[in-house]
Amino acid sequence: MKFGQGFRVDVLEGARIAVYSLRANRMRTVLTTLGIGIGVATLLAIVGIIQGLNTSFEKQLSTLGANTIYVSKFPWMIKGNWWVFRNRKNLTLEQVAQLRQQADFITAISPAVLRTSDVAHGAQQVSNVRVNGVWSDYLTIGNYEVVSGRFLTRADEEVNRPVAVIGAEVAATLFPSFSPLGQTVRIDGRPFQVVGTLARKGKVVSENMDLSVFLPFKTFNATFGKGRPMQIAIAVADAGKIHQAEDQLVGILRRVRSTPPGQPDDFSINRPDTLAATYEQLTGALYAVATGVGLITLLVGGIGIMNIMLVSVRERTREIGVRRALGARRRTIILQFLMEASSVSAVGGLLGTTVGLGTAKLVSLVTPLAADVRPGTVLGGVAFSALVGLLFGIWPAARAARLDPVEALRYE
Amino acid sequence: MTTPGAPASGPLIQVEALTRAFFVGGEEVRALRGVSFGIQRGEWVAIIGQSGSGKSTLMNVLGCLDTPTSGRYMLNGKDVSRMDDDDLAVIRNVEIGFIFQTFQLLPRETALANVELPLVYRGMAAKERRERAKAALDKVQLTHRMHHRPNELSGGQRQRVAIARALVSEPSMLLADEPTGNLDSATGEEIVKLFEQLHQAGHTLVLVTHEPKLAARCPRAIRLSDGEIIADGPGPEVALGGTGVLPPKVGHA
Repeated sequence: MKFGQGFRVDVLEGARIAVYSLRANRMRTVLTTLGIGIGVATLLAIVGIIQGLNTSFEKQLSTLGANTIYVSKFPWMIKGNWWVFRNRKNLTLEQVAQLRQQADFITAISPAVLRTSDVAHGAQQVSNVRVNGVWSDYLTIGNYEVVSGRFLTRADEEVNRPVAVIGAEVAATLFPSFSPLGQTVRIDGRPFQVVGTLARKGKVVSENMDLSVFLPFKTFNATFGKGRPMQIAIAVADAGKIHQAEDQLVGILRRVRSTPPGQPDDFSINRPDTLAATYEQLTGALYAVATGVGLITLLVGGIGIMNIMLVSVRERTREIGVRRALGARRRTIILQFLMEASSVSAVGGLLGTTVGLGTAKLVSLVTPLAADVRPGTVLGGVAFSALVGLLFGIWPAARAARLDPVEALRYE
Repeated sequence: MTTPGAPASGPLIQVEALTRAFFVGGEEVRALRGVSFGIQRGEWVAIIGQSGSGKSTLMNVLGCLDTPTSGRYMLNGKDVSRMDDDDLAVIRNVEIGFIFQTFQLLPRETALANVELPLVYRGMAAKERRERAKAALDKVQLTHRMHHRPNELSGGQRQRVAIARALVSEPSMLLADEPTGNLDSATGEEIVKLFEQLHQAGHTLVLVTHEPKLAARCPRAIRLSDGEIIADGPGPEVALGGTGVLPPKVGHA
């Protein structure tokens, strides 16, 4: 039998009815939509913020270099009892010397000590500056660049010179209008002559790398005392062989520090890239939990849709009967209700996407967290919500289509 | 205007030994117990009976809203007694124009949109649909109310919209279920007059009612009782309790 009713008609008519009934029940629609909207908003905000965190963290860590190893008493990310690490023996200059002699992969090595100080020139002062005591090799390891003057030299170290190389932020604050070279800065009251300035490097995690000053290692110890724990910074020739380098390093250090066999290392090997991995593990767990919460919210929203669609089907039982009597097929009725459910959800998704992205953006504006919001997200959010609506609309729609037309027409 | 439809010869409706049984609480209720009759094109037939006589069940089967348990139902040359749900939807759309006691208009749609609805399911383009719906509303003298919603119309006007909706698809028959049941007598009379006009114009009309007065207005009436035909003849005679000329019973236990 030739009959003009096709899928296209079903879809068009379904869409028309959907829009119509959404308009007719505005308040109800908005409330139902809210459920889906909140779910999508939660998901998007969380995804945006965490993606942003990861991206900026990776970018920051990459400035530390992929071929560097830092040996210290403390691991960068402490797992377990802090006191275990606290009670370890300090690293020594003797161990630095042993490493330099025995390890065949090292291109640069330097001890590093750190304190936080106030740095002043005349009336100008900068607080919370990272003051490092290092060797000349540290320039390469730390991936710094000299913009004026020079970095520390071996001669500075040997004769204990009171010289300093200052970071970009320190230079800009203390010497806004003239060259700092040859000027004297006071670090916690002690005078040092500026011999070089460094290029801007940005932040790594929360540390401002430009708020730094570098002194010769020996000068640092002579000025501020020897007690503080030392870190050994090492640059490796080939980033691809960093694991072999690490193994060799561990072997030498265990021997030099006479760690008994079977005992765990009494020092920590830190690498920026393992830090990134640990960090991602951490945010990964957070991500999973947050995504779970978002999905549950979405599920609740979906159940809301299902509920309202069941109400809608019941309310319109007679309408369904009439439509069936006038020639609507079952699939036309199914489509009508599916389209209604998915358009309610799509509206909710649009709302939720807007709110979610707005939240992520707001978070990136008022906190140091950088939200990473991808352009496809809006479309994805709307499509995903529509899909949720479609899924949760199947049962109510099927119920509507299963109605016996005779019964439906008689329904009061 | 004459009734459309493919074969011009033979009866429009031919039912043979039609039965319909329901199962209510595990018990079989036989609403139709072997009903046979024919209706020619252009006839106006009333089906009357008390409540519980099986007339509503017969109407549902004749309207292809329900299928018989056994027996045969030929409509316009097609055996519709064994069709599946989708095909029945098509038959309802093409062959049958329903008129209900409670009008059954969609409350949120205008009169015009209500009348257009059967054509929507036929997949007709919007413009042609609109024109045909207007023409159908013109036949019931309601073009001036076509942009009103059902709740802005009187009972009589609503039933006329429903009749326009039944006419718009140019069906083989109009099937009316107590069409005056929800109307006062004056308005009911208007509707009956409208049926008379439609009958004169050549439409086939089947009218299900429990009112003898209404059946008396029809040229032919079939009386049902306990799921069986007990009278079939001229409307005034059957309405008064006559038996008319009964065909030989088929499949009767």
